[in-house]
Amino acid sequence: MIHFLTQVGRYFMFLRKVFAKPEKHSIYYRQTMRELVYLGLYSAGIIAIIAFFMGAVITLQTAYNTQNPIYPKYLIGLGCRDSIILEFSSTVAALILAGKVGSNISSEIGTMRVTEQIDALEIMGVNSASYLILPKIIATLLFNPVLTLIGIIVGIFGGWLAGTVSGVITSENFIYGIQYAFTPYYIVYSLIKTLFFAFIITSISAFQGYYVDGGSLEVGRASTKAVVYSSILILLFNVILTQLLLS
Amino acid sequence: MITVKNLSKSFNGKKVLDDISVTFETGKTNLIIGMSGSGKTVLLKSIVGLHEIDSGEIWFEDTLFSELNFTDRKEIRTEIGMLFQGSALFDSKTVEQNVRFPLDMFTNKTPKEKNERVNFCLNRVNIVKANKLFPAELSGGMKKRVAIARAIALNPKYLFCDEPNSGLDPITAILIDALIKELTEEYSMTTIVNTHDMNSVMEIGEKIIFISNGVKCWEGNKDEILHSDCSTLNDFVFANSLAKKLKAAK
Repeated sequence: MIHFLTQVGRYFMFLRKVFAKPEKHSIYYRQTMRELVYLGLYSAGIIAIIAFFMGAVITLQTAYNTQNPIYPKYLIGLGCRDSIILEFSSTVAALILAGKVGSNISSEIGTMRVTEQIDALEIMGVNSASYLILPKIIATLLFNPVLTLIGIIVGIFGGWLAGTVSGVITSENFIYGIQYAFTPYYIVYSLIKTLFFAFIITSISAFQGYYVDGGSLEVGRASTKAVVYSSILILLFNVILTQLLLS
Repeated sequence: MITVKNLSKSFNGKKVLDDISVTFETGKTNLIIGMSGSGKTVLLKSIVGLHEIDSGEIWFEDTLFSELNFTDRKEIRTEIGMLFQGSALFDSKTVEQNVRFPLDMFTNKTPKEKNERVNFCLNRVNIVKANKLFPAELSGGMKKRVAIARAIALNPKYLFCDEPNSGLDPITAILIDALIKELTEEYSMTTIVNTHDMNSVMEIGEKIIFISNGVKCWEGNKDEILHSDCSTLNDFVFANSLAKKLKAAK
């Protein structure tokens, strides 16, 4: 318990260091642009591929589980839309990003720690936590909502394609379904969750990497911890935010 | 000049440095020598503030560095260049970007002035046609030289080198030592070098302190080191069979 509280305290002190006033704004701006590409743009492909297949599977499973004349066919489109918007595009995508981006951040910063690159920054008088991590947090906060929107669009498209090609639903019924009883607030809810998850993934992973002590083995362990802790916190905050935002 | 007074440092209750006092002089190559695990690197990192000390004082000229907070230390840190054991070049940056980094961060020079300074520093350490290479594409000796170029980019007053020739062949090691000595004299820096290489000691040791088990055992220069009556130091200096034979012959 004491170890847990120590780590929590250390995490908040780390965040204080991360959010200290930047040394030179132009350098931070360049770093943020670089991270937007590495952490954001390079994640768009995996999110699009997974969203496409998730949308397809949701449509087919909903269709096979609602083979009853009582249920109107357009419910398949509606089910696909709500599943993608409410859970897949934010929570499932965040879990995927915790694996991809989280482990990347943790191992990158952890390697910099064990090879004394962070010490080199500190010696120069650079706030290493802020210089290395703040641009990553800003980049993910800016770009993850875009990834969420990409997930929503591609996921619903995947559902439509799978449904119409397999013949479980007509194109008209699917499109009617995704328009039926649409609540725009669900998109806002999804984007708010995404912002929280982006912060969790980046800050937890960076924290794990920043305090690595040892060698390559410890960097690997930090990477694993980053993914596990980020995933648990994402699931926990998913429950809390859902209760707060949808109740 | 850097003055260390009664410095002690422990890790998890284990004392690594015990009551070390020493003065490192300006314009000289000051060496900290000792066996692996004797506390050399901890001493060096404590002096530059990478480790917070338990007790004692560290003075950079008239400034009590050990009592300053991170923000107040920044001014002195811009006057410090450091060469790490593993070079610590930034993997994601090219040679040129590595050397330019402190200039980007702490100066308001124009891009042309920065380029000129980068090229000057790289030429000074004999690195040519490697500006666009990444650290992974360089040999060990080249990495050390680029790290030295980065360390001197801001014209530092203090240069710290942690095992500058570890992992290098004897000829490259001598070249690196000679470069450190030349730069120290040229820019009148206070240079502190951590080493356990006796070749370095005999090449560049203008002032030497010997540490054993975290305690300063001996202080002198390269001429005095061969005539010391400190048994621990003699065991260290005459550890290899060639040195033993030479001593016996003498």
